[in-house]
Amino acid sequence: MSQSQSQSQSDAARTPRPETTAAKGTGVPGGHGTSAAGVTITGLHKSFGDNEVLKGIDMSVAPGEVVCLIGASGSGKSTLLRCVNRLETPNAGTITVGEHEATHPDVNLDAMRRQIGMVFQQFNLFPHLSVLENCTITPRRVLGQSKAEAETEALAQLDAVGLEHLSERRPDQLSGGQQQRVAIARALTMKPQLMLFDEPTSALDPETVGDVLASMRKLAQAGMTMLVVTHEMGFAREVADRVVFMDQGLVVEEGPAAAVIGDPQQPRTQDFLRRVLHPLGE
Amino acid sequence: MAMTTRDRARLSLGIQAGIFLAVVIVLAILIDWTAIRGSFFAFENLGPMFPEIITVGLFNTVQYTVVGFVFGLLGGTLLALMRMSSFPVYRWVATAYIEFFRGIPAILVFIALGFGASLAFGWNLSTLQIAGSALAIVASAYIAETLRAGLQAVPKGQLEAARALGMPAWRAMVTIQIPQAFRIVLPPLTNEAILLTKDSSLIFVVGMAGGAAELTKMGRDGINIYQAGLTPLVVAGFCYLLLTVPLSLLARRMEHRNPRTAKK
Repeated sequence: MSQSQSQSQSDAARTPRPETTAAKGTGVPGGHGTSAAGVTITGLHKSFGDNEVLKGIDMSVAPGEVVCLIGASGSGKSTLLRCVNRLETPNAGTITVGEHEATHPDVNLDAMRRQIGMVFQQFNLFPHLSVLENCTITPRRVLGQSKAEAETEALAQLDAVGLEHLSERRPDQLSGGQQQRVAIARALTMKPQLMLFDEPTSALDPETVGDVLASMRKLAQAGMTMLVVTHEMGFAREVADRVVFMDQGLVVEEGPAAAVIGDPQQPRTQDFLRRVLHPLGE
Repeated sequence: MAMTTRDRARLSLGIQAGIFLAVVIVLAILIDWTAIRGSFFAFENLGPMFPEIITVGLFNTVQYTVVGFVFGLLGGTLLALMRMSSFPVYRWVATAYIEFFRGIPAILVFIALGFGASLAFGWNLSTLQIAGSALAIVASAYIAETLRAGLQAVPKGQLEAARALGMPAWRAMVTIQIPQAFRIVLPPLTNEAILLTKDSSLIFVVGMAGGAAELTKMGRDGINIYQAGLTPLVVAGFCYLLLTVPLSLLARRMEHRNPRTAKK
Protein backbone atom coordinates (compact mmCIF):
# COMPACT_ATOMS: atom_id res chain seq x y z
CA MET A 1 0.00 0.00 0.00
CA SER A 2 2.67 2.50 1.02
CA GLN A 3 4.63 1.73 -2.10
CA SER A 4 1.81 2.35 -4.51
CA GLN A 5 0.78 5.51 -2.71
CA SER A 6 4.20 7.02 -2.71
CA GLN A 7 4.55 6.22 -6.38
CA SER A 8 1.27 7.72 -7.34
CA GLN A 9 1.78 10.79 -5.19
CA SER A 10 5.17 11.44 -6.68
CA ASP A 11 3.58 11.53 -10.09
CA ALA A 12 3.20 15.17 -10.88
CA ALA A 13 1.23 14.66 -14.07
CA ARG A 14 -1.60 13.21 -12.15
CA THR A 15 -4.63 15.18 -11.17
CA PRO A 16 -5.53 14.67 -7.54
CA ARG A 17 -8.24 12.24 -6.83
CA PRO A 18 -9.71 10.89 -3.65
CA GLU A 19 -6.87 8.84 -2.18
CA THR A 20 -7.46 5.64 -1.04
CA THR A 21 -8.39 3.92 1.99
CA ALA A 22 -10.80 2.39 -0.50
CA ALA A 23 -8.10 -0.04 -1.54
CA LYS A 24 -9.43 -2.55 0.96
CA GLY A 25 -11.58 -5.08 -0.87
CA THR A 26 -11.13 -3.57 -4.29
CA GLY A 27 -8.54 -6.03 -5.31
CA VAL A 28 -5.88 -3.53 -6.06
CA PRO A 29 -2.32 -4.78 -5.78
CA GLY A 30 -1.38 -2.17 -3.17
CA GLY A 31 -2.18 -4.45 -0.27
CA HIS A 32 0.05 -7.21 -1.57
CA GLY A 33 3.38 -5.48 -1.75
CA THR A 34 3.31 -4.98 -5.52
CA SER A 35 2.94 -1.66 -7.24
CA ALA A 36 1.10 -0.09 -10.13
CA ALA A 37 3.06 -0.08 -13.36
CA GLY A 38 3.30 2.65 -15.94
CA VAL A 39 3.24 2.33 -19.72
CA THR A 40 5.48 4.10 -22.22
CA ILE A 41 4.79 3.85 -25.94
CA THR A 42 7.10 5.38 -28.56
CA GLY A 43 6.90 5.41 -32.35
CA LEU A 44 4.37 2.58 -32.50
CA HIS A 45 3.38 1.35 -35.96
CA LYS A 46 1.03 -1.52 -36.74
CA SER A 47 -0.31 -2.70 -40.09
CA PHE A 48 -2.70 -5.47 -41.05
CA GLY A 49 -1.61 -6.28 -44.59
CA ASP A 50 -1.69 -3.02 -46.51
CA ASN A 51 -3.86 -1.35 -43.92
CA GLU A 52 -1.74 0.79 -41.59
CA VAL A 53 -3.78 1.02 -38.40
CA LEU A 54 -1.26 2.75 -36.12
CA LYS A 55 0.94 5.38 -37.76
CA GLY A 56 3.40 6.34 -35.09
CA ILE A 57 1.91 6.56 -31.60
CA ASP A 58 3.75 8.22 -28.71
CA MET A 59 2.01 8.24 -25.36
CA SER A 60 2.47 7.20 -21.78
CA VAL A 61 0.48 6.25 -18.73
CA ALA A 62 2.00 7.04 -15.36
CA PRO A 63 1.77 4.49 -12.53
CA GLY A 64 -1.66 4.84 -10.92
CA GLU A 65 -2.97 7.01 -13.71
CA VAL A 66 -6.28 6.44 -15.50
CA VAL A 67 -6.19 7.23 -19.22
CA CYS A 68 -9.19 6.95 -21.50
CA LEU A 69 -8.67 6.39 -25.22
CA ILE A 70 -11.47 7.87 -27.28
CA GLY A 71 -12.07 8.14 -31.00
CA ALA A 72 -14.21 6.81 -33.84
CA SER A 73 -14.25 3.08 -34.60
CA GLY A 74 -11.36 2.23 -36.87
CA SER A 75 -9.16 4.89 -35.35
CA GLY A 76 -6.81 2.24 -33.90
CA LYS A 77 -7.69 2.49 -30.18
CA SER A 78 -8.30 -1.23 -29.67
CA THR A 79 -5.26 -2.20 -31.71
CA LEU A 80 -3.12 0.11 -29.59
CA LEU A 81 -4.50 -1.50 -26.43
CA ARG A 82 -3.90 -4.99 -27.78
CA CYS A 83 -0.30 -4.10 -28.65
CA VAL A 84 0.37 -3.26 -24.98
CA ASN A 85 -0.08 -6.89 -23.85
CA ARG A 86 1.13 -8.16 -27.22
CA LEU A 87 -2.11 -9.78 -28.38
CA GLU A 88 -1.00 -7.91 -31.49
CA THR A 89 2.63 -7.65 -32.52
CA PRO A 90 3.64 -4.14 -33.56
CA ASN A 91 5.61 -3.58 -36.76
CA ALA A 92 7.79 -0.88 -35.25
CA GLY A 93 8.20 1.13 -32.06
CA THR A 94 8.70 0.26 -28.42
CA ILE A 95 6.34 -0.36 -25.52
CA THR A 96 7.43 -0.76 -21.93
CA VAL A 97 5.12 -1.89 -19.15
CA GLY A 98 6.70 -1.55 -15.71
CA GLU A 99 10.02 -3.37 -15.91
CA HIS A 100 8.98 -5.32 -19.04
CA GLU A 101 9.87 -4.17 -22.51
CA ALA A 102 6.88 -5.59 -24.38
CA THR A 103 8.46 -5.12 -27.78
CA HIS A 104 11.81 -6.73 -26.93
CA PRO A 105 12.34 -9.95 -28.90
CA ASP A 106 13.32 -11.87 -25.76
CA VAL A 107 10.49 -10.65 -23.57
CA ASN A 108 8.77 -13.32 -21.48
CA LEU A 109 5.26 -12.65 -22.70
CA ASP A 110 3.52 -14.92 -20.21
CA ALA A 111 5.29 -13.32 -17.25
CA MET A 112 4.50 -9.86 -18.60
CA ARG A 113 0.85 -10.65 -19.24
CA ARG A 114 0.42 -11.91 -15.68
CA GLN A 115 1.01 -8.34 -14.58
CA ILE A 116 -1.45 -6.90 -17.10
CA GLY A 117 -5.16 -7.52 -16.65
CA MET A 118 -7.39 -7.24 -19.68
CA VAL A 119 -11.15 -6.85 -19.95
CA PHE A 120 -12.72 -7.51 -23.36
CA GLN A 121 -15.79 -6.09 -25.06
CA GLN A 122 -17.25 -9.63 -25.33
CA PHE A 123 -16.27 -10.57 -21.70
CA ASN A 124 -14.68 -13.86 -22.86
CA LEU A 125 -15.48 -15.72 -19.67
CA PHE A 126 -14.76 -19.44 -19.93
CA PRO A 127 -18.24 -20.93 -20.48
CA HIS A 128 -17.33 -24.45 -19.35
CA LEU A 129 -16.25 -23.24 -15.92
CA SER A 130 -18.23 -21.76 -13.05
CA VAL A 131 -17.79 -18.11 -12.09
CA LEU A 132 -15.53 -19.14 -9.21
CA GLU A 133 -13.48 -21.47 -11.42
CA ASN A 134 -13.09 -18.69 -13.99
CA CYS A 135 -11.41 -16.70 -11.24
CA THR A 136 -9.29 -19.51 -9.78
CA ILE A 137 -8.12 -21.46 -12.84
CA THR A 138 -5.22 -19.18 -13.75
CA PRO A 139 -3.95 -18.52 -10.20
CA ARG A 140 -4.02 -22.28 -9.60
CA ARG A 141 -2.67 -23.56 -12.91
CA VAL A 142 -0.22 -20.76 -13.67
CA LEU A 143 0.78 -19.33 -10.29
CA GLY A 144 0.52 -22.70 -8.54
CA GLN A 145 -1.78 -21.46 -5.77
CA SER A 146 -3.65 -24.01 -3.69
CA LYS A 147 -7.39 -24.36 -4.27
CA ALA A 148 -8.22 -22.81 -0.90
CA GLU A 149 -5.84 -19.92 -1.40
CA ALA A 150 -7.13 -19.18 -4.90
CA GLU A 151 -10.76 -19.42 -3.82
CA THR A 152 -10.31 -17.07 -0.89
CA GLU A 153 -8.80 -14.44 -3.16
CA ALA A 154 -11.37 -15.04 -5.93
CA LEU A 155 -14.29 -14.67 -3.52
CA ALA A 156 -12.79 -11.44 -2.20
CA GLN A 157 -12.53 -10.08 -5.74
CA LEU A 158 -16.06 -11.24 -6.59
CA ASP A 159 -17.28 -9.59 -3.41
CA ALA A 160 -15.61 -6.35 -4.48
CA VAL A 161 -17.70 -6.32 -7.68
CA GLY A 162 -20.78 -7.39 -5.73
CA LEU A 163 -21.15 -10.88 -7.21
CA GLU A 164 -19.86 -13.25 -4.53
CA HIS A 165 -23.35 -14.76 -4.29
CA LEU A 166 -23.20 -15.90 -7.95
CA SER A 167 -19.88 -17.73 -7.65
CA GLU A 168 -21.37 -21.18 -8.36
CA ARG A 169 -23.26 -20.06 -11.49
CA ARG A 170 -22.19 -20.62 -15.07
CA PRO A 171 -21.37 -17.54 -17.14
CA ASP A 172 -24.35 -18.11 -19.46
CA GLN A 173 -26.66 -17.76 -16.46
CA LEU A 174 -25.46 -14.20 -15.84
CA SER A 175 -26.45 -10.92 -17.45
CA GLY A 176 -23.90 -9.17 -19.64
CA GLY A 177 -23.12 -6.64 -16.94
CA GLN A 178 -22.60 -9.39 -14.37
CA GLN A 179 -20.36 -11.30 -16.77
CA GLN A 180 -18.26 -8.22 -17.34
CA ARG A 181 -17.86 -7.64 -13.60
CA VAL A 182 -16.77 -11.27 -13.23
CA ALA A 183 -14.25 -10.62 -16.00
CA ILE A 184 -12.89 -7.68 -13.99
CA ALA A 185 -12.68 -9.82 -10.84
CA ARG A 186 -10.99 -12.62 -12.83
CA ALA A 187 -8.33 -10.24 -14.11
CA LEU A 188 -7.73 -8.87 -10.61
CA THR A 189 -7.10 -12.31 -9.09
CA MET A 190 -3.77 -12.22 -10.93
CA LYS A 191 -2.88 -9.04 -9.00
CA PRO A 192 -2.03 -7.05 -12.11
CA GLN A 193 -0.14 -3.77 -12.03
CA LEU A 194 -1.99 -2.44 -15.06
CA MET A 195 -5.53 -2.97 -16.33
CA LEU A 196 -6.54 -2.70 -19.98
CA PHE A 197 -10.22 -2.22 -20.83
CA ASP A 198 -11.31 -2.71 -24.44
CA GLU A 199 -14.73 -1.06 -24.80
CA PRO A 200 -15.95 -2.88 -21.67
CA THR A 201 -19.51 -1.56 -21.84
CA SER A 202 -20.12 -1.54 -25.61
CA ALA A 203 -21.76 -4.97 -25.72
CA LEU A 204 -23.96 -4.40 -22.65
CA ASP A 205 -27.64 -3.69 -22.24
CA PRO A 206 -27.92 -0.05 -21.19
CA GLU A 207 -29.31 -0.84 -17.75
CA THR A 208 -26.28 -2.95 -16.80
CA VAL A 209 -23.63 -0.43 -17.89
CA GLY A 210 -23.74 1.50 -14.62
CA ASP A 211 -22.65 -1.40 -12.40
CA VAL A 212 -19.64 -2.12 -14.60
CA LEU A 213 -18.59 1.53 -14.65
CA ALA A 214 -19.01 1.67 -10.87
CA SER A 215 -16.64 -1.30 -10.46
CA MET A 216 -14.14 0.41 -12.74
CA ARG A 217 -14.39 3.68 -10.83
CA LYS A 218 -13.77 1.84 -7.57
CA LEU A 219 -10.67 0.31 -9.09
CA ALA A 220 -9.47 3.70 -10.31
CA GLN A 221 -9.98 5.24 -6.89
CA ALA A 222 -7.89 2.46 -5.39
CA GLY A 223 -4.90 3.52 -7.46
CA MET A 224 -4.84 1.02 -10.31
CA THR A 225 -3.13 2.06 -13.52
CA MET A 226 -5.85 1.88 -16.17
CA LEU A 227 -5.89 2.28 -19.94
CA VAL A 228 -9.51 2.33 -21.07
CA VAL A 229 -10.88 2.34 -24.61
CA THR A 230 -14.39 3.69 -24.20
CA HIS A 231 -17.28 5.60 -25.71
CA GLU A 232 -18.59 6.51 -22.25
CA MET A 233 -17.77 10.22 -22.17
CA GLY A 234 -19.40 10.64 -18.76
CA PHE A 235 -17.07 7.99 -17.31
CA ALA A 236 -14.04 9.51 -19.04
CA ARG A 237 -14.84 12.97 -17.76
CA GLU A 238 -15.43 11.83 -14.19
CA VAL A 239 -12.83 9.10 -13.70
CA ALA A 240 -10.01 9.63 -16.17
CA ASP A 241 -6.95 11.68 -15.27
CA ARG A 242 -6.22 12.15 -18.92
CA VAL A 243 -8.07 11.61 -22.17
CA VAL A 244 -6.33 10.73 -25.44
CA PHE A 245 -8.22 11.31 -28.67
CA MET A 246 -7.14 9.17 -31.62
CA ASP A 247 -8.07 9.52 -35.26
CA GLN A 248 -6.83 7.49 -38.24
CA GLY A 249 -3.99 5.86 -36.36
CA LEU A 250 -2.59 8.98 -34.72
CA VAL A 251 -2.95 10.76 -31.40
CA VAL A 252 -4.67 14.01 -32.29
CA GLU A 253 -5.21 15.57 -28.89
CA GLU A 254 -4.57 14.66 -25.28
CA GLY A 255 -4.84 16.33 -21.93
CA PRO A 256 -6.85 16.43 -18.71
CA ALA A 257 -10.29 14.88 -19.17
CA ALA A 258 -12.18 18.08 -18.47
CA ALA A 259 -10.10 19.99 -21.02
CA VAL A 260 -10.27 17.49 -23.89
CA ILE A 261 -13.94 16.64 -23.48
CA GLY A 262 -15.15 20.02 -22.24
CA ASP A 263 -13.06 22.29 -24.43
CA PRO A 264 -11.40 20.40 -27.31
CA GLN A 265 -8.87 22.39 -29.33
CA GLN A 266 -8.49 20.31 -32.49
CA PRO A 267 -11.23 20.42 -35.16
CA ARG A 268 -11.29 16.64 -35.46
CA THR A 269 -11.77 16.25 -31.70
CA GLN A 270 -14.50 18.88 -31.74
CA ASP A 271 -16.25 17.12 -34.60
CA PHE A 272 -16.03 13.69 -32.95
CA LEU A 273 -17.28 14.91 -29.59
CA ARG A 274 -20.13 16.82 -31.18
CA ARG A 275 -21.31 13.66 -32.89
CA VAL A 276 -20.90 11.52 -29.76
CA LEU A 277 -22.44 13.94 -27.29
CA HIS A 278 -25.22 15.25 -29.55
CA PRO A 279 -26.02 12.45 -31.97
CA LEU A 280 -29.25 14.12 -33.13
CA GLY A 281 -27.58 17.48 -33.76
CA GLU A 282 -28.65 20.69 -32.09
CA MET B 1 -66.51 -18.78 -48.71
CA ALA B 2 -63.22 -17.93 -47.04
CA MET B 3 -61.44 -20.54 -44.93
CA THR B 4 -59.93 -19.61 -41.62
CA THR B 5 -56.35 -20.60 -40.81
CA ARG B 6 -57.69 -23.26 -38.47
CA ASP B 7 -59.91 -24.70 -41.20
CA ARG B 8 -56.91 -24.93 -43.49
CA ALA B 9 -54.84 -26.71 -40.84
CA ARG B 10 -57.66 -29.23 -40.27
CA LEU B 11 -58.07 -29.85 -43.98
CA SER B 12 -54.32 -30.40 -44.36
CA LEU B 13 -54.29 -32.92 -41.50
CA GLY B 14 -57.35 -34.68 -42.97
CA ILE B 15 -55.73 -35.04 -46.39
CA GLN B 16 -52.51 -36.41 -44.91
CA ALA B 17 -54.39 -38.96 -42.80
CA GLY B 18 -56.48 -39.99 -45.82
CA ILE B 19 -53.41 -40.65 -47.96
CA PHE B 20 -51.79 -42.63 -45.17
CA LEU B 21 -54.87 -44.80 -44.72
CA ALA B 22 -55.15 -45.46 -48.45
CA VAL B 23 -51.51 -46.55 -48.69
CA VAL B 24 -51.86 -48.88 -45.71
CA ILE B 25 -55.00 -50.51 -47.16
CA VAL B 26 -53.45 -50.99 -50.61
CA LEU B 27 -50.29 -52.52 -49.13
CA ALA B 28 -52.31 -54.83 -46.88
CA ILE B 29 -54.22 -56.15 -49.89
CA LEU B 30 -51.25 -56.45 -52.28
CA ILE B 31 -48.63 -57.96 -49.99
CA ASP B 32 -48.24 -61.72 -49.69
CA TRP B 33 -48.14 -61.88 -45.93
CA THR B 34 -47.48 -65.58 -45.73
CA ALA B 35 -44.36 -65.29 -47.88
CA ILE B 36 -43.12 -62.28 -45.90
CA ARG B 37 -43.66 -64.06 -42.63
CA GLY B 38 -41.98 -67.24 -43.84
CA SER B 39 -38.96 -65.41 -45.27
CA PHE B 40 -38.31 -62.71 -42.70
CA PHE B 41 -40.14 -63.51 -39.50
CA ALA B 42 -39.76 -67.27 -39.09
CA PHE B 43 -38.36 -66.91 -35.59
CA GLU B 44 -39.59 -70.34 -34.40
CA ASN B 45 -36.63 -72.19 -35.95
CA LEU B 46 -33.98 -69.83 -34.68
CA GLY B 47 -33.59 -71.02 -31.11
CA PRO B 48 -30.12 -72.46 -31.87
CA MET B 49 -28.86 -69.02 -32.99
CA PHE B 50 -28.83 -68.03 -29.34
CA PRO B 51 -26.80 -67.35 -27.36
CA GLU B 52 -23.97 -67.40 -29.94
CA ILE B 53 -25.41 -64.49 -31.96
CA ILE B 54 -24.96 -62.40 -28.78
CA THR B 55 -21.91 -63.98 -27.11
CA VAL B 56 -19.94 -64.32 -30.35
CA GLY B 57 -21.52 -62.11 -33.03
CA LEU B 58 -22.48 -59.06 -31.02
CA PHE B 59 -19.34 -59.39 -28.93
CA ASN B 60 -17.08 -59.45 -32.00
CA THR B 61 -18.90 -56.54 -33.64
CA VAL B 62 -18.42 -54.47 -30.49
CA GLN B 63 -14.79 -55.59 -30.21
CA TYR B 64 -13.88 -54.63 -33.81
CA THR B 65 -15.73 -51.32 -33.51
CA VAL B 66 -14.17 -50.34 -30.19
CA VAL B 67 -10.65 -51.17 -31.38
CA GLY B 68 -11.27 -49.25 -34.62
CA PHE B 69 -12.73 -46.26 -32.79
CA VAL B 70 -10.02 -46.01 -30.12
CA PHE B 71 -7.18 -46.15 -32.64
CA GLY B 72 -9.18 -43.96 -35.03
CA LEU B 73 -9.46 -41.36 -32.28
CA LEU B 74 -5.71 -41.48 -31.64
CA GLY B 75 -4.91 -41.29 -35.36
CA GLY B 76 -7.55 -38.60 -35.90
CA THR B 77 -6.09 -36.46 -33.11
CA LEU B 78 -2.63 -36.75 -34.62
CA LEU B 79 -3.94 -35.90 -38.11
CA ALA B 80 -5.95 -32.93 -36.81
CA LEU B 81 -2.85 -31.53 -35.09
CA MET B 82 -0.85 -32.10 -38.27
CA ARG B 83 -3.46 -30.27 -40.35
CA MET B 84 -3.19 -27.26 -38.04
CA SER B 85 0.61 -27.40 -37.83
CA SER B 86 2.77 -24.47 -38.85
CA PHE B 87 5.06 -26.92 -40.69
CA PRO B 88 3.60 -27.16 -44.22
CA VAL B 89 4.75 -30.73 -44.95
CA TYR B 90 2.65 -32.02 -42.04
CA ARG B 91 -0.36 -30.17 -43.41
CA TRP B 92 0.11 -31.66 -46.89
CA VAL B 93 0.55 -35.21 -45.60
CA ALA B 94 -2.49 -34.95 -43.34
CA THR B 95 -4.65 -33.39 -46.06
CA ALA B 96 -3.64 -36.09 -48.58
CA TYR B 97 -4.39 -38.86 -46.08
CA ILE B 98 -7.76 -37.41 -45.13
CA GLU B 99 -8.90 -36.80 -48.69
CA PHE B 100 -7.71 -40.25 -49.81
CA PHE B 101 -9.41 -42.31 -47.12
CA ARG B 102 -12.60 -40.25 -47.08
CA GLY B 103 -12.77 -40.58 -50.85
CA ILE B 104 -12.46 -44.35 -51.31
CA PRO B 105 -14.94 -47.02 -50.17
CA ALA B 106 -14.05 -48.52 -46.80
CA ILE B 107 -14.38 -52.00 -48.32
CA LEU B 108 -11.21 -51.37 -50.38
CA VAL B 109 -9.26 -50.83 -47.17
CA PHE B 110 -10.57 -54.13 -45.78
CA ILE B 111 -9.54 -55.94 -48.97
CA ALA B 112 -6.14 -54.26 -49.01
CA LEU B 113 -5.45 -55.28 -45.41
CA GLY B 114 -7.09 -58.70 -45.62
CA PHE B 115 -5.42 -59.89 -48.80
CA GLY B 116 -2.86 -57.26 -49.75
CA ALA B 117 -0.97 -57.21 -46.47
CA SER B 118 -0.17 -60.91 -46.60
CA LEU B 119 0.72 -60.77 -50.31
CA ALA B 120 2.91 -57.68 -50.02
CA PHE B 121 4.58 -58.15 -46.64
CA GLY B 122 3.81 -61.73 -45.74
CA TRP B 123 1.91 -60.57 -42.67
CA ASN B 124 -0.51 -63.03 -41.21
CA LEU B 125 -3.06 -60.77 -39.57
CA SER B 126 -5.85 -61.95 -37.27
CA THR B 127 -9.44 -60.96 -38.02
CA LEU B 128 -9.36 -58.51 -35.10
CA GLN B 129 -6.18 -56.94 -36.44
CA ILE B 130 -7.61 -56.58 -39.95
CA ALA B 131 -11.01 -55.25 -38.88
CA GLY B 132 -9.61 -53.01 -36.15
CA SER B 133 -6.92 -51.41 -38.30
CA ALA B 134 -9.13 -51.05 -41.40
CA LEU B 135 -11.77 -49.28 -39.32
CA ALA B 136 -9.12 -47.18 -37.57
CA ILE B 137 -7.56 -46.11 -40.88
CA VAL B 138 -10.90 -44.96 -42.27
CA ALA B 139 -12.24 -43.51 -39.00
CA SER B 140 -9.11 -41.45 -38.34
CA ALA B 141 -9.69 -39.55 -41.61
CA TYR B 142 -13.24 -38.60 -40.62
CA ILE B 143 -12.42 -38.01 -36.95
CA ALA B 144 -9.51 -35.72 -37.87
CA GLU B 145 -11.86 -33.36 -39.70
CA THR B 146 -14.39 -33.47 -36.87
CA LEU B 147 -11.74 -32.64 -34.26
CA ARG B 148 -10.23 -29.84 -36.34
CA ALA B 149 -13.65 -28.27 -36.86
CA GLY B 150 -14.31 -28.56 -33.11
CA LEU B 151 -11.05 -26.90 -32.12
CA GLN B 152 -11.61 -24.11 -34.63
CA ALA B 153 -15.20 -23.62 -33.46
CA VAL B 154 -13.96 -22.38 -30.08
CA PRO B 155 -14.10 -18.57 -30.42
CA LYS B 156 -10.77 -16.79 -30.78
CA GLY B 157 -11.63 -14.60 -27.79
CA GLN B 158 -11.39 -17.62 -25.50
CA LEU B 159 -7.73 -18.19 -26.32
CA GLU B 160 -7.05 -14.45 -26.19
CA ALA B 161 -8.55 -14.22 -22.72
CA ALA B 162 -6.48 -17.19 -21.56
CA ARG B 163 -3.27 -15.80 -23.04
CA ALA B 164 -4.01 -12.32 -21.65
CA LEU B 165 -4.26 -13.87 -18.18
CA GLY B 166 -0.73 -15.18 -18.66
CA MET B 167 -1.41 -18.80 -19.60
CA PRO B 168 1.26 -20.29 -21.87
CA ALA B 169 -0.05 -21.49 -25.26
CA TRP B 170 -0.09 -25.19 -24.30
CA ARG B 171 -1.87 -24.44 -21.02
CA ALA B 172 -4.52 -22.37 -22.79
CA MET B 173 -5.05 -25.20 -25.26
CA VAL B 174 -5.31 -27.90 -22.58
CA THR B 175 -7.38 -25.94 -20.06
CA ILE B 176 -9.57 -23.73 -22.25
CA GLN B 177 -9.69 -24.81 -25.90
CA ILE B 178 -9.73 -28.62 -25.77
CA PRO B 179 -12.46 -28.98 -23.08
CA GLN B 180 -14.75 -26.68 -25.06
CA ALA B 181 -13.91 -28.37 -28.37
CA PHE B 182 -14.62 -31.75 -26.76
CA ARG B 183 -18.18 -30.70 -25.95
CA ILE B 184 -18.65 -29.50 -29.51
CA VAL B 185 -17.39 -32.74 -31.09
CA LEU B 186 -19.12 -35.29 -28.82
CA PRO B 187 -22.30 -35.55 -30.93
CA PRO B 188 -20.46 -35.94 -34.28
CA LEU B 189 -18.05 -38.42 -32.67
CA THR B 190 -21.00 -40.48 -31.48
CA ASN B 191 -22.34 -40.50 -35.01
CA GLU B 192 -18.93 -41.66 -36.18
CA ALA B 193 -19.15 -44.56 -33.70
CA ILE B 194 -22.53 -45.52 -35.20
CA LEU B 195 -21.09 -45.54 -38.72
CA LEU B 196 -18.14 -47.66 -37.55
CA THR B 197 -20.44 -50.19 -35.89
CA LYS B 198 -22.11 -50.78 -39.24
CA ASP B 199 -18.86 -50.69 -41.24
CA SER B 200 -17.43 -53.48 -39.08
CA SER B 201 -19.65 -55.81 -41.16
CA LEU B 202 -17.32 -55.21 -44.14
CA ILE B 203 -14.91 -57.76 -42.69
CA PHE B 204 -17.07 -60.34 -44.52
CA VAL B 205 -15.09 -59.70 -47.75
CA VAL B 206 -12.01 -61.13 -46.04
CA GLY B 207 -13.78 -64.09 -44.48
CA MET B 208 -13.21 -65.31 -40.95
CA ALA B 209 -13.28 -68.40 -38.77
CA GLY B 210 -16.45 -69.14 -36.77
CA GLY B 211 -15.10 -67.84 -33.46
CA ALA B 212 -14.26 -64.48 -35.05
CA ALA B 213 -17.64 -64.09 -36.78
CA GLU B 214 -19.48 -60.84 -36.23
CA LEU B 215 -23.19 -60.14 -36.62
CA THR B 216 -23.46 -59.91 -40.40
CA LYS B 217 -21.37 -63.04 -40.93
CA MET B 218 -23.53 -65.00 -38.48
CA GLY B 219 -26.69 -63.70 -40.12
CA ARG B 220 -25.49 -64.76 -43.56
CA ASP B 221 -24.38 -68.17 -42.33
CA GLY B 222 -27.73 -68.58 -40.61
CA ILE B 223 -29.53 -68.38 -43.94
CA ASN B 224 -27.90 -71.67 -44.95
CA ILE B 225 -28.11 -73.38 -41.58
CA TYR B 226 -31.68 -72.80 -40.45
CA GLN B 227 -34.91 -73.36 -42.37
CA ALA B 228 -36.03 -69.80 -41.75
CA GLY B 229 -35.41 -67.91 -44.98
CA LEU B 230 -33.78 -64.54 -44.37
CA THR B 231 -34.89 -64.35 -40.76
CA PRO B 232 -31.31 -64.71 -39.39
CA LEU B 233 -30.45 -61.44 -41.16
CA VAL B 234 -33.39 -59.78 -39.43
CA VAL B 235 -32.07 -61.03 -36.10
CA ALA B 236 -28.61 -59.66 -36.93
CA GLY B 237 -30.21 -56.35 -37.93
CA PHE B 238 -31.99 -56.08 -34.58
CA CYS B 239 -28.68 -56.77 -32.84
CA TYR B 240 -27.13 -53.78 -34.66
CA LEU B 241 -30.06 -51.64 -33.54
CA LEU B 242 -29.35 -52.72 -29.95
CA LEU B 243 -26.01 -50.93 -30.36
CA THR B 244 -26.81 -48.01 -32.62
CA VAL B 245 -30.14 -46.76 -31.24
CA PRO B 246 -28.76 -46.08 -27.73
CA LEU B 247 -25.76 -44.31 -29.31
CA SER B 248 -28.11 -42.26 -31.45
CA LEU B 249 -30.24 -41.28 -28.44
CA LEU B 250 -27.07 -40.36 -26.57
CA ALA B 251 -25.92 -38.11 -29.43
CA ARG B 252 -29.29 -36.39 -29.57
CA ARG B 253 -29.29 -35.79 -25.82
CA MET B 254 -25.85 -34.24 -25.96
CA GLU B 255 -26.88 -31.96 -28.81
CA HIS B 256 -29.75 -30.60 -26.76
CA ARG B 257 -27.80 -30.26 -23.56
CA ASN B 258 -27.38 -26.91 -21.92
CA PRO B 259 -24.63 -25.19 -23.94
CA ARG B 260 -21.44 -24.96 -21.95
CA THR B 261 -19.45 -23.63 -24.85
CA ALA B 262 -18.89 -20.06 -25.92
CA LYS B 263 -21.27 -18.76 -28.54
CA LYS B 264 -20.12 -16.51 -31.33
